[in-house]
Amino acid sequence: MPIYEQTYRRYEARAPLRTLRFWPITREALRLILARRAFLGLLLVAWVPFVWRVIQVYIVTQYPQFGRVLPIDGRMFGQFLAVQTLFTLFISIFGGAGLIANDLRTGAILVYLSRPLTRRDYVLGKIGVLMALNLGVTLVPGILLYVVSVALAPEQFATWNLSWIGPAVLLHSLVLSLVVSLVALAASALSRNARVAGLTFFLLVFGLETVRRVLGWLYNRPESALLSIQASLESLGNALFGITDRALQLPWVYPALILFLVSLGCLAILRARVRAVEIVR
Amino acid sequence: MTSTLEYVRASRWYGPVIALNDVTTTVGPGVTGLLGPNGAGKSTFLKLAAGQLAPSQGEVRVLGKPAWGSPELFHRVGVCPETDAFWDGLTGLQFLMALLRLTGFDDGECRRRADHALEEVALTEARDRKIGGYSKGMRQRIKMAQSLAHDPQVLLLDEPLSGMDPVNRRRIVDLVKKLGREGRTVLVSSHILHEVEAMTRRVLLIHNGRILAEGDVREIRDLMDEHPHTVALRARDPRALARAVVGSPHVLSLTFGAEGEWVTVQTARPDEFYSSVVDAAVEAGVSEMYSPDENLESVFKYLVAR
Repeated sequence: MPIYEQTYRRYEARAPLRTLRFWPITREALRLILARRAFLGLLLVAWVPFVWRVIQVYIVTQYPQFGRVLPIDGRMFGQFLAVQTLFTLFISIFGGAGLIANDLRTGAILVYLSRPLTRRDYVLGKIGVLMALNLGVTLVPGILLYVVSVALAPEQFATWNLSWIGPAVLLHSLVLSLVVSLVALAASALSRNARVAGLTFFLLVFGLETVRRVLGWLYNRPESALLSIQASLESLGNALFGITDRALQLPWVYPALILFLVSLGCLAILRARVRAVEIVR
Repeated sequence: MTSTLEYVRASRWYGPVIALNDVTTTVGPGVTGLLGPNGAGKSTFLKLAAGQLAPSQGEVRVLGKPAWGSPELFHRVGVCPETDAFWDGLTGLQFLMALLRLTGFDDGECRRRADHALEEVALTEARDRKIGGYSKGMRQRIKMAQSLAHDPQVLLLDEPLSGMDPVNRRRIVDLVKKLGREGRTVLVSSHILHEVEAMTRRVLLIHNGRILAEGDVREIRDLMDEHPHTVALRARDPRALARAVVGSPHVLSLTFGAEGEWVTVQTARPDEFYSSVVDAAVEAGVSEMYSPDENLESVFKYLVAR
Protein backbone atom coordinates (compact mmCIF):
# COMPACT_ATOMS: atom_id res chain seq x y z
CA MET A 1 0.00 0.00 0.00
CA PRO A 2 1.51 3.36 -0.93
CA ILE A 3 2.42 5.62 1.95
CA TYR A 4 -0.04 8.30 0.97
CA GLU A 5 -2.93 5.89 1.24
CA GLN A 6 -2.09 5.03 4.83
CA THR A 7 -4.12 6.80 7.41
CA TYR A 8 -2.55 8.38 10.43
CA ARG A 9 -3.31 6.41 13.57
CA ARG A 10 -0.92 7.50 16.29
CA TYR A 11 -2.47 10.88 16.86
CA GLU A 12 -2.94 11.49 20.59
CA ALA A 13 -2.98 15.27 20.93
CA ARG A 14 -5.98 16.66 22.72
CA ALA A 15 -8.64 18.09 20.50
CA PRO A 16 -10.78 20.12 22.90
CA LEU A 17 -9.66 23.61 23.80
CA ARG A 18 -9.10 24.62 27.39
CA THR A 19 -11.58 27.09 28.81
CA LEU A 20 -8.73 29.25 30.11
CA ARG A 21 -6.26 28.94 27.26
CA PHE A 22 -4.31 31.96 28.48
CA TRP A 23 -3.58 30.44 31.88
CA PRO A 24 -0.40 28.49 30.97
CA ILE A 25 1.09 31.74 29.57
CA THR A 26 0.33 33.59 32.80
CA ARG A 27 1.59 30.76 34.98
CA GLU A 28 4.84 30.31 33.08
CA ALA A 29 5.64 34.04 33.04
CA LEU A 30 4.80 34.42 36.75
CA ARG A 31 7.07 31.50 37.56
CA LEU A 32 9.97 33.16 35.72
CA ILE A 33 9.35 36.62 37.20
CA LEU A 34 8.96 35.40 40.76
CA ALA A 35 12.21 33.45 40.48
CA ARG A 36 14.03 36.82 40.51
CA ARG A 37 14.99 37.69 44.09
CA ALA A 38 15.14 41.42 43.44
CA PHE A 39 11.58 41.30 42.19
CA LEU A 40 10.42 39.39 45.27
CA GLY A 41 12.13 42.10 47.33
CA LEU A 42 10.12 44.77 45.49
CA LEU A 43 6.90 42.88 46.20
CA LEU A 44 7.81 42.65 49.89
CA VAL A 45 8.58 46.39 50.07
CA ALA A 46 5.18 47.04 48.46
CA TRP A 47 3.56 45.52 51.56
CA VAL A 48 5.30 47.89 53.98
CA PRO A 49 2.50 50.56 53.68
CA PHE A 50 0.00 47.84 54.61
CA VAL A 51 1.94 47.03 57.77
CA TRP A 52 2.13 50.75 58.58
CA ARG A 53 -1.66 51.20 58.12
CA VAL A 54 -2.36 48.18 60.35
CA ILE A 55 -0.12 49.75 63.02
CA GLN A 56 -1.99 53.06 62.51
CA VAL A 57 -5.37 51.38 63.06
CA TYR A 58 -4.04 49.56 66.10
CA ILE A 59 -2.56 52.73 67.65
CA VAL A 60 -5.77 54.72 67.16
CA THR A 61 -7.89 51.94 68.63
CA GLN A 62 -5.58 51.75 71.67
CA TYR A 63 -5.00 55.50 71.99
CA PRO A 64 -8.01 57.38 70.53
CA GLN A 65 -6.28 60.74 71.01
CA PHE A 66 -4.03 59.89 68.03
CA GLY A 67 -7.15 59.78 65.86
CA ARG A 68 -6.80 63.52 65.20
CA VAL A 69 -3.31 63.14 63.68
CA LEU A 70 -3.82 59.68 62.20
CA PRO A 71 -7.51 59.53 61.26
CA ILE A 72 -8.90 56.11 60.44
CA ASP A 73 -11.85 56.31 58.07
CA GLY A 74 -12.74 55.71 54.39
CA ARG A 75 -10.12 58.22 53.26
CA MET A 76 -7.38 56.10 54.78
CA PHE A 77 -8.09 53.43 52.14
CA GLY A 78 -7.94 55.98 49.30
CA GLN A 79 -4.59 57.26 50.56
CA PHE A 80 -3.35 53.70 50.97
CA LEU A 81 -4.24 52.83 47.37
CA ALA A 82 -2.67 56.07 46.09
CA VAL A 83 0.63 54.93 47.61
CA GLN A 84 0.14 51.42 46.20
CA THR A 85 -0.32 52.94 42.72
CA LEU A 86 3.36 53.91 42.83
CA PHE A 87 4.31 50.31 43.55
CA THR A 88 2.19 49.03 40.67
CA LEU A 89 4.13 51.38 38.40
CA PHE A 90 7.50 50.00 39.52
CA ILE A 91 6.23 46.42 39.42
CA SER A 92 4.97 46.99 35.89
CA ILE A 93 8.31 48.41 34.78
CA PHE A 94 10.38 45.57 36.19
CA GLY A 95 7.89 42.76 35.61
CA GLY A 96 6.13 43.93 32.48
CA ALA A 97 8.68 45.62 30.24
CA GLY A 98 9.96 42.36 28.79
CA LEU A 99 6.68 40.48 28.62
CA ILE A 100 6.05 41.11 24.92
CA ALA A 101 9.31 42.84 23.94
CA ASN A 102 11.34 39.70 24.69
CA ASP A 103 8.97 37.52 22.68
CA LEU A 104 9.25 39.91 19.74
CA ARG A 105 13.06 39.98 20.03
CA THR A 106 13.55 36.23 20.32
CA GLY A 107 10.80 35.33 17.86
CA ALA A 108 9.11 33.27 20.59
CA ILE A 109 5.81 34.87 19.62
CA LEU A 110 5.92 32.58 16.57
CA VAL A 111 5.87 29.45 18.68
CA TYR A 112 3.16 30.85 20.97
CA LEU A 113 0.92 31.55 17.99
CA SER A 114 1.57 28.16 16.42
CA ARG A 115 -0.07 26.57 19.49
CA PRO A 116 -3.83 26.29 20.06
CA LEU A 117 -3.94 29.95 21.10
CA THR A 118 -5.35 33.09 19.56
CA ARG A 119 -3.71 36.50 19.73
CA ARG A 120 -6.39 37.40 22.28
CA ASP A 121 -5.32 34.44 24.46
CA TYR A 122 -1.72 35.60 24.21
CA VAL A 123 -2.58 39.16 25.28
CA LEU A 124 -4.89 37.90 28.04
CA GLY A 125 -2.09 35.64 29.30
CA LYS A 126 0.34 38.53 29.43
CA ILE A 127 -2.16 40.92 31.04
CA GLY A 128 -2.91 38.17 33.54
CA VAL A 129 0.71 38.33 34.72
CA LEU A 130 0.61 42.05 35.45
CA MET A 131 -2.91 41.93 36.85
CA ALA A 132 -1.90 39.18 39.28
CA LEU A 133 1.17 41.14 40.41
CA ASN A 134 -0.62 44.48 40.63
CA LEU A 135 -3.69 43.12 42.39
CA GLY A 136 -1.27 41.43 44.77
CA VAL A 137 -0.17 44.85 45.99
CA THR A 138 -3.51 46.69 45.73
CA LEU A 139 -6.59 44.53 46.08
CA VAL A 140 -5.13 41.87 48.38
CA PRO A 141 -3.60 44.25 50.97
CA GLY A 142 -6.56 46.67 50.53
CA ILE A 143 -9.15 44.03 51.36
CA LEU A 144 -6.94 42.60 54.10
CA LEU A 145 -6.58 46.09 55.60
CA TYR A 146 -10.36 46.46 55.57
CA VAL A 147 -10.79 43.08 57.30
CA VAL A 148 -8.10 43.95 59.89
CA SER A 149 -9.71 47.39 60.44
CA VAL A 150 -13.14 45.85 60.98
CA ALA A 151 -11.62 43.37 63.41
CA LEU A 152 -9.53 45.93 65.34
CA ALA A 153 -11.94 48.87 65.24
CA PRO A 154 -15.45 47.50 64.79
CA GLU A 155 -17.00 50.69 66.19
CA GLN A 156 -15.44 52.71 63.33
CA PHE A 157 -15.67 50.26 60.43
CA ALA A 158 -18.32 47.62 61.18
CA THR A 159 -21.10 50.09 60.47
CA TRP A 160 -23.59 50.05 57.64
CA ASN A 161 -22.64 53.52 56.37
CA LEU A 162 -19.00 52.42 55.80
CA SER A 163 -19.86 49.15 54.05
CA TRP A 164 -19.01 50.83 50.72
CA ILE A 165 -15.29 50.64 51.52
CA GLY A 166 -14.90 46.98 50.49
CA PRO A 167 -16.50 47.42 47.03
CA ALA A 168 -14.66 50.74 46.57
CA VAL A 169 -11.31 49.07 47.29
CA LEU A 170 -12.23 46.30 44.84
CA LEU A 171 -13.29 48.72 42.09
CA HIS A 172 -10.35 51.09 42.43
CA SER A 173 -7.82 48.24 42.64
CA LEU A 174 -9.25 46.66 39.51
CA VAL A 175 -9.29 49.92 37.55
CA LEU A 176 -5.81 51.01 38.50
CA SER A 177 -4.30 47.54 38.01
CA LEU A 178 -5.96 47.15 34.61
CA VAL A 179 -4.94 50.58 33.32
CA VAL A 180 -1.35 50.29 34.56
CA SER A 181 -1.08 46.73 33.17
CA LEU A 182 -2.42 47.77 29.76
CA VAL A 183 -0.06 50.74 29.50
CA ALA A 184 2.93 48.60 30.52
CA LEU A 185 1.99 45.88 28.04
CA ALA A 186 1.47 48.36 25.20
CA ALA A 187 4.90 49.88 25.96
CA SER A 188 6.37 46.37 25.91
CA ALA A 189 4.76 45.68 22.52
CA LEU A 190 6.22 48.86 21.03
CA SER A 191 9.82 47.67 21.25
CA ARG A 192 11.90 44.50 20.87
CA ASN A 193 14.12 45.67 23.72
CA ALA A 194 12.85 45.28 27.29
CA ARG A 195 14.94 48.23 28.51
CA VAL A 196 13.56 50.52 25.83
CA ALA A 197 10.05 49.30 26.68
CA GLY A 198 10.67 49.99 30.38
CA LEU A 199 11.96 53.46 29.57
CA THR A 200 8.93 54.15 27.35
CA PHE A 201 6.61 53.20 30.19
CA PHE A 202 8.61 55.29 32.66
CA LEU A 203 8.43 58.36 30.40
CA LEU A 204 4.73 57.84 29.71
CA VAL A 205 3.90 57.70 33.39
CA PHE A 206 6.47 59.78 35.25
CA GLY A 207 7.23 62.16 32.36
CA LEU A 208 3.56 63.11 31.97
CA GLU A 209 3.21 63.37 35.74
CA THR A 210 6.12 65.83 35.80
CA VAL A 211 4.48 67.88 33.03
CA ARG A 212 1.23 67.81 35.00
CA ARG A 213 2.95 69.07 38.14
CA VAL A 214 4.72 71.87 36.27
CA LEU A 215 1.46 72.99 34.62
CA GLY A 216 -0.41 72.68 37.91
CA TRP A 217 2.20 74.86 39.57
CA LEU A 218 2.06 77.44 36.74
CA TYR A 219 -1.70 77.65 36.23
CA ASN A 220 -3.09 76.07 39.41
CA ARG A 221 -5.87 74.29 37.51
CA PRO A 222 -7.04 70.72 38.35
CA GLU A 223 -7.64 69.96 34.63
CA SER A 224 -3.87 69.45 34.24
CA ALA A 225 -4.45 66.14 36.08
CA LEU A 226 -6.00 64.82 32.89
CA LEU A 227 -2.56 64.93 31.23
CA SER A 228 -1.16 62.32 33.58
CA ILE A 229 -2.20 58.67 33.93
CA GLN A 230 -1.02 58.62 37.54
CA ALA A 231 -2.92 61.82 38.44
CA SER A 232 -6.04 60.63 36.63
CA LEU A 233 -5.97 57.42 38.67
CA GLU A 234 -5.47 59.39 41.87
CA SER A 235 -8.23 61.84 40.95
CA LEU A 236 -10.61 58.94 40.36
CA GLY A 237 -9.58 57.41 43.68
CA ASN A 238 -10.12 60.72 45.46
CA ALA A 239 -13.65 60.93 44.03
CA LEU A 240 -14.35 57.36 45.10
CA PHE A 241 -13.01 57.67 48.65
CA GLY A 242 -14.10 61.26 49.30
CA ILE A 243 -10.60 62.73 49.56
CA THR A 244 -10.25 66.49 49.06
CA ASP A 245 -7.22 67.59 47.07
CA ARG A 246 -7.62 70.87 45.15
CA ALA A 247 -4.93 69.96 42.63
CA LEU A 248 -6.89 66.86 41.56
CA GLN A 249 -10.44 67.95 42.28
CA LEU A 250 -12.40 66.98 39.15
CA PRO A 251 -15.76 65.33 38.47
CA TRP A 252 -14.95 61.59 38.38
CA VAL A 253 -16.24 61.26 34.84
CA TYR A 254 -13.29 63.21 33.34
CA PRO A 255 -10.45 61.07 34.67
CA ALA A 256 -12.58 57.98 34.02
CA LEU A 257 -12.99 59.02 30.38
CA ILE A 258 -9.24 59.70 30.02
CA LEU A 259 -8.37 56.31 31.50
CA PHE A 260 -10.89 54.62 29.22
CA LEU A 261 -9.37 56.30 26.16
CA VAL A 262 -5.83 55.39 27.29
CA SER A 263 -6.93 51.76 27.67
CA LEU A 264 -8.49 51.75 24.19
CA GLY A 265 -5.27 53.17 22.75
CA CYS A 266 -3.25 50.44 24.47
CA LEU A 267 -5.55 47.75 23.08
CA ALA A 268 -5.13 49.22 19.60
CA ILE A 269 -1.33 49.08 19.97
CA LEU A 270 -1.50 45.48 21.16
CA ARG A 271 -3.76 44.56 18.27
CA ALA A 272 -1.35 46.08 15.78
CA ARG A 273 1.86 44.72 17.29
CA VAL A 274 1.00 41.22 18.50
CA ARG A 275 1.42 39.23 15.29
CA ALA A 276 3.29 36.11 14.36
CA VAL A 277 4.52 37.83 11.23
CA GLU A 278 5.84 41.36 11.20
CA ILE A 279 4.68 43.00 8.03
CA VAL A 280 6.98 45.75 6.80
CA ARG A 281 5.26 47.92 4.24
CA MET B 1 -5.09 10.77 -2.10
CA THR B 2 -6.82 12.47 0.83
CA SER B 3 -5.61 16.05 1.05
CA THR B 4 -4.84 17.53 4.44
CA LEU B 5 -3.74 20.95 3.17
CA GLU B 6 -5.82 22.76 0.58
CA TYR B 7 -5.01 26.09 -1.04
CA VAL B 8 -7.89 27.42 -3.09
CA ARG B 9 -6.99 30.48 -5.18
CA ALA B 10 -4.96 31.72 -2.21
CA SER B 11 -3.11 35.01 -2.58
CA ARG B 12 -1.23 37.08 -0.06
CA TRP B 13 -0.01 40.65 -0.46
CA TYR B 14 2.34 42.61 1.79
CA GLY B 15 1.25 46.11 0.88
CA PRO B 16 1.93 46.41 -2.86
CA VAL B 17 4.15 43.30 -2.93
CA ILE B 18 2.52 40.01 -3.83
CA ALA B 19 4.10 37.10 -1.98
CA LEU B 20 1.69 34.37 -3.09
CA ASN B 21 -0.30 34.66 -6.26
CA ASP B 22 -3.54 32.77 -6.86
CA VAL B 23 -2.28 29.40 -5.64
CA THR B 24 -4.51 26.34 -5.91
CA THR B 25 -3.00 23.08 -4.76
CA THR B 26 -3.38 20.25 -2.26
CA VAL B 27 -0.94 18.37 -0.06
CA GLY B 28 -1.64 14.89 1.31
CA PRO B 29 -0.09 12.52 3.86
CA GLY B 30 3.61 11.72 3.52
CA VAL B 31 6.51 14.11 2.96
CA THR B 32 6.15 16.87 0.38
CA GLY B 33 8.97 19.23 -0.44
CA LEU B 34 8.30 22.89 -1.06
CA LEU B 35 11.15 23.94 -3.26
CA GLY B 36 11.99 27.43 -4.39
CA PRO B 37 14.73 30.03 -4.31
CA ASN B 38 14.90 32.66 -1.56
CA GLY B 39 12.01 35.11 -1.85
CA ALA B 40 9.88 32.68 -3.87
CA GLY B 41 7.04 32.69 -1.31
CA LYS B 42 7.82 29.45 0.55
CA SER B 43 7.57 30.96 4.03
CA THR B 44 4.34 32.77 3.14
CA PHE B 45 2.95 29.49 1.79
CA LEU B 46 3.77 27.79 5.11
CA LYS B 47 2.62 30.68 7.29
CA LEU B 48 -0.78 30.64 5.63
CA ALA B 49 -1.14 26.96 6.55
CA ALA B 50 0.21 27.67 10.05
CA GLY B 51 -2.56 30.22 10.64
CA GLN B 52 0.02 32.97 11.16
CA LEU B 53 -1.17 34.96 8.18
CA ALA B 54 -4.63 35.44 6.74
CA PRO B 55 -4.91 35.01 2.98
CA SER B 56 -5.62 38.33 1.24
CA GLN B 57 -7.79 36.38 -1.16
CA GLY B 58 -8.91 32.77 -1.46
CA GLU B 59 -8.81 30.11 1.19
CA VAL B 60 -6.32 27.88 2.97
CA ARG B 61 -7.72 24.85 4.77
CA VAL B 62 -5.92 22.42 7.05
CA LEU B 63 -7.64 19.14 7.92
CA GLY B 64 -10.82 20.58 6.47
CA LYS B 65 -10.84 23.76 8.57
CA PRO B 66 -9.73 27.28 7.66
CA ALA B 67 -6.15 27.71 8.89
CA TRP B 68 -6.75 31.34 9.88
CA GLY B 69 -8.83 31.74 13.03
CA SER B 70 -9.06 28.06 14.01
CA PRO B 71 -6.82 27.75 17.09
CA GLU B 72 -8.18 24.28 17.93
CA LEU B 73 -6.47 23.07 14.76
CA PHE B 74 -3.06 23.56 16.30
CA HIS B 75 -3.44 20.61 18.62
CA ARG B 76 -2.88 18.67 15.42
CA VAL B 77 -0.38 20.88 13.63
CA GLY B 78 3.31 21.34 14.42
CA VAL B 79 5.27 24.30 13.08
CA CYS B 80 9.04 24.60 12.86
CA PRO B 81 9.79 28.25 11.95
CA GLU B 82 12.75 29.24 9.85
CA THR B 83 14.01 31.85 12.28
CA ASP B 84 15.09 31.16 15.85
CA ALA B 85 12.17 31.32 18.26
CA PHE B 86 13.40 30.67 21.77
CA TRP B 87 13.68 31.96 25.27
CA ASP B 88 17.46 31.68 25.54
CA GLY B 89 17.39 31.56 29.35
CA LEU B 90 15.46 28.27 29.40
CA THR B 91 16.98 24.83 29.09
CA GLY B 92 15.90 22.61 26.19
CA LEU B 93 13.68 20.59 28.52
CA GLN B 94 12.07 23.69 30.09
CA PHE B 95 11.42 25.13 26.62
CA LEU B 96 9.60 22.01 25.45
CA MET B 97 7.69 21.69 28.72
CA ALA B 98 6.51 25.31 28.50
CA LEU B 99 5.24 24.83 24.95
CA LEU B 100 3.56 21.53 25.77
CA ARG B 101 1.74 23.21 28.66
CA LEU B 102 0.45 25.76 26.15
CA THR B 103 -0.89 22.87 24.09
CA GLY B 104 -2.90 21.71 27.09
CA PHE B 105 -1.05 18.75 28.59
CA ASP B 106 -0.54 18.28 32.33
CA ASP B 107 2.96 18.33 33.83
CA GLY B 108 3.46 14.55 33.84
CA GLU B 109 2.41 14.23 30.22
CA CYS B 110 4.54 17.26 29.27
CA ARG B 111 7.61 15.62 30.78
CA ARG B 112 6.99 12.32 29.02
CA ARG B 113 6.45 13.98 25.65
CA ALA B 114 9.37 16.39 26.07
CA ASP B 115 11.73 13.51 26.89
CA HIS B 116 10.50 11.58 23.86
CA ALA B 117 10.89 14.56 21.53
CA LEU B 118 14.40 15.28 22.85
CA GLU B 119 15.31 11.67 22.21
CA GLU B 120 13.93 11.89 18.66
CA VAL B 121 16.27 14.78 17.85
CA ALA B 122 19.21 13.37 19.88
CA LEU B 123 19.27 16.18 22.41
CA THR B 124 18.67 14.13 25.55
CA GLU B 125 22.17 14.80 26.89
CA ALA B 126 21.82 18.55 26.32
CA ARG B 127 18.32 18.82 27.75
CA ASP B 128 19.44 20.60 30.94
CA ARG B 129 21.67 23.11 29.14
CA LYS B 130 20.39 26.59 28.39
CA ILE B 131 19.32 27.10 24.78
CA GLY B 132 21.46 30.25 24.68
CA GLY B 133 24.52 27.98 24.75
CA TYR B 134 23.32 25.64 21.98
CA SER B 135 25.11 25.45 18.64
CA LYS B 136 23.29 26.33 15.41
CA GLY B 137 22.56 22.66 14.72
CA MET B 138 21.24 22.07 18.24
CA ARG B 139 18.98 25.09 17.91
CA GLN B 140 17.56 23.68 14.69
CA ARG B 141 16.96 20.36 16.42
CA ILE B 142 15.23 21.86 19.47
CA LYS B 143 12.95 23.74 17.04
CA MET B 144 12.17 20.42 15.39
CA ALA B 145 11.54 18.85 18.79
CA GLN B 146 8.98 21.53 19.75
CA SER B 147 7.14 21.04 16.47
CA LEU B 148 6.65 17.31 16.97
CA ALA B 149 6.45 16.98 20.77
CA HIS B 150 2.65 17.16 20.82
CA ASP B 151 2.41 14.38 18.23
CA PRO B 152 0.84 16.44 15.44
CA GLN B 153 -0.83 15.05 12.37
CA VAL B 154 0.49 17.85 10.15
CA LEU B 155 4.05 19.20 10.30
CA LEU B 156 5.10 22.42 8.60
CA LEU B 157 8.89 22.65 8.54
CA ASP B 158 10.49 25.83 7.24
CA GLU B 159 14.10 25.19 6.14
CA PRO B 160 14.72 22.61 8.92
CA LEU B 161 18.21 21.65 7.70
CA SER B 162 19.55 25.17 7.48
CA GLY B 163 23.04 25.42 8.99
CA MET B 164 23.24 21.81 10.19
CA ASP B 165 26.38 19.71 10.10
CA PRO B 166 26.31 16.52 7.98
CA VAL B 167 25.72 14.11 10.87
CA ASN B 168 22.73 16.00 12.25
CA ARG B 169 21.47 16.67 8.73
CA ARG B 170 21.34 12.92 8.19
CA ARG B 171 19.54 12.48 11.51
CA ILE B 172 16.87 15.06 10.72
CA VAL B 173 16.39 13.72 7.19
CA ASP B 174 15.80 10.25 8.65
CA LEU B 175 13.40 11.69 11.21
CA VAL B 176 11.39 13.54 8.57
CA LYS B 177 11.17 10.41 6.45
CA LYS B 178 10.04 8.42 9.48
CA LEU B 179 7.34 11.00 10.26
CA GLY B 180 6.13 10.74 6.67
CA ARG B 181 6.10 6.94 6.80
CA GLU B 182 3.89 7.13 9.90
CA GLY B 183 1.25 8.75 7.70
CA ARG B 184 1.66 12.33 8.89
CA THR B 185 1.49 15.16 6.41
CA VAL B 186 4.94 16.76 6.40
CA LEU B 187 5.47 19.86 4.28
CA VAL B 188 9.12 20.82 4.28
CA SER B 189 10.49 23.91 2.58
CA SER B 190 13.96 24.33 1.21
CA HIS B 191 15.83 26.22 -1.44
CA ILE B 192 18.17 23.27 -1.91
CA LEU B 193 17.07 20.55 -4.25
CA HIS B 194 19.39 17.95 -2.75
CA GLU B 195 17.92 18.48 0.73
CA VAL B 196 14.39 17.94 -0.48
CA GLU B 197 15.42 15.01 -2.62
CA ALA B 198 16.91 13.28 0.42
CA MET B 199 13.53 13.41 2.15
CA THR B 200 10.96 12.87 -0.56
CA ARG B 201 10.28 12.53 -4.25
CA ARG B 202 7.13 14.62 -4.13
CA VAL B 203 7.75 18.33 -4.60
CA LEU B 204 5.95 21.59 -5.16
CA LEU B 205 8.06 24.09 -7.07
CA ILE B 206 7.33 27.66 -6.13
CA HIS B 207 8.70 30.74 -7.82
CA ASN B 208 7.65 34.39 -7.65
CA GLY B 209 4.64 33.43 -5.54
CA ARG B 210 3.28 30.89 -7.98
CA ILE B 211 3.31 27.11 -7.99
CA LEU B 212 5.39 26.45 -11.04
CA ALA B 213 5.18 22.67 -11.07
CA GLU B 214 4.39 19.75 -8.83
CA GLY B 215 5.44 16.15 -9.13
CA ASP B 216 8.48 13.93 -8.98
CA VAL B 217 11.73 15.49 -7.90
CA ARG B 218 13.70 13.30 -10.33
CA GLU B 219 12.43 15.30 -13.26
CA ILE B 220 13.96 18.38 -11.67
CA ARG B 221 17.10 16.45 -10.89
CA ASP B 222 17.56 15.67 -14.59
CA LEU B 223 17.44 19.37 -15.33
CA MET B 224 20.00 19.99 -12.58
CA ASP B 225 22.69 17.72 -13.93
CA GLU B 226 24.16 20.38 -16.14
CA HIS B 227 24.40 22.79 -13.19
CA PRO B 228 27.19 22.12 -10.69
CA HIS B 229 26.03 22.06 -7.05
CA THR B 230 27.85 24.33 -4.58
CA VAL B 231 28.35 23.29 -0.96
CA ALA B 232 29.96 25.49 1.71
CA LEU B 233 31.32 23.76 4.83
CA ARG B 234 32.62 25.39 8.00
CA ALA B 235 35.27 23.24 9.67
CA ARG B 236 37.56 23.42 12.66
CA ASP B 237 40.35 22.12 10.42
CA PRO B 238 39.46 23.22 6.87
CA ARG B 239 42.77 22.03 5.42
CA ALA B 240 42.20 18.48 6.70
CA LEU B 241 38.74 18.57 5.19
CA ALA B 242 40.11 19.80 1.87
CA ARG B 243 42.74 17.03 1.83
CA ALA B 244 40.06 14.42 2.48
CA VAL B 245 37.64 15.52 -0.24
CA VAL B 246 39.87 16.91 -2.96
CA GLY B 247 40.63 13.49 -4.41
CA SER B 248 36.96 12.54 -4.67
CA PRO B 249 35.79 12.02 -8.27
CA HIS B 250 32.61 13.96 -7.41
CA VAL B 251 34.45 17.21 -6.59
CA LEU B 252 34.81 19.61 -9.51
CA SER B 253 36.53 22.43 -7.64
CA LEU B 254 37.45 23.49 -4.12
CA THR B 255 38.15 26.93 -2.66
CA PHE B 256 38.96 28.28 0.82
CA GLY B 257 36.78 31.04 2.21
CA ALA B 258 38.20 34.43 3.16
CA GLU B 259 37.66 33.86 6.89
CA GLY B 260 39.73 30.68 6.86
CA GLU B 261 37.11 28.35 8.37
CA TRP B 262 35.05 27.81 5.23
CA VAL B 263 35.65 25.44 2.36
CA THR B 264 33.47 25.74 -0.75
CA VAL B 265 33.12 22.71 -2.98
CA GLN B 266 31.49 22.36 -6.39
CA THR B 267 30.16 18.94 -7.29
CA ALA B 268 28.13 17.48 -10.13
CA ARG B 269 26.98 14.55 -7.98
CA PRO B 270 25.72 15.96 -4.66
CA ASP B 271 24.26 12.62 -3.49
CA GLU B 272 27.56 10.83 -3.81
CA PHE B 273 29.48 13.80 -2.45
CA TYR B 274 27.35 14.01 0.71
CA SER B 275 27.70 10.26 1.31
CA SER B 276 31.45 10.34 0.89
CA VAL B 277 32.04 13.44 3.02
CA VAL B 278 30.47 12.24 6.29
CA ASP B 279 33.60 10.61 7.83
CA ALA B 280 35.89 13.41 6.70
CA ALA B 281 33.44 15.99 8.07
CA VAL B 282 33.45 14.39 11.51
CA GLU B 283 37.26 14.25 11.61
CA ALA B 284 37.68 17.84 10.43
CA GLY B 285 35.05 19.11 12.88
CA VAL B 286 32.50 20.42 10.39
CA SER B 287 30.01 22.50 12.36
CA GLU B 288 27.94 24.09 9.63
CA MET B 289 27.06 23.36 6.05
CA TYR B 290 24.88 25.14 3.52
CA SER B 291 24.31 25.32 -0.15
CA PRO B 292 23.89 28.66 -1.89
CA ASP B 293 20.84 28.64 -4.12
CA GLU B 294 22.24 30.17 -7.28
CA ASN B 295 22.15 26.78 -8.99
CA LEU B 296 18.48 26.29 -8.15
CA GLU B 297 17.74 29.83 -9.27
CA SER B 298 19.21 28.97 -12.66
CA VAL B 299 16.94 25.90 -12.94
CA PHE B 300 13.94 28.06 -12.12
CA LYS B 301 14.98 30.57 -14.73
CA TYR B 302 15.23 27.70 -17.16
CA LEU B 303 11.78 26.38 -16.20
CA VAL B 304 10.21 29.82 -16.47
CA ALA B 305 11.81 30.35 -19.86
CA ARG B 306 10.34 27.08 -21.09
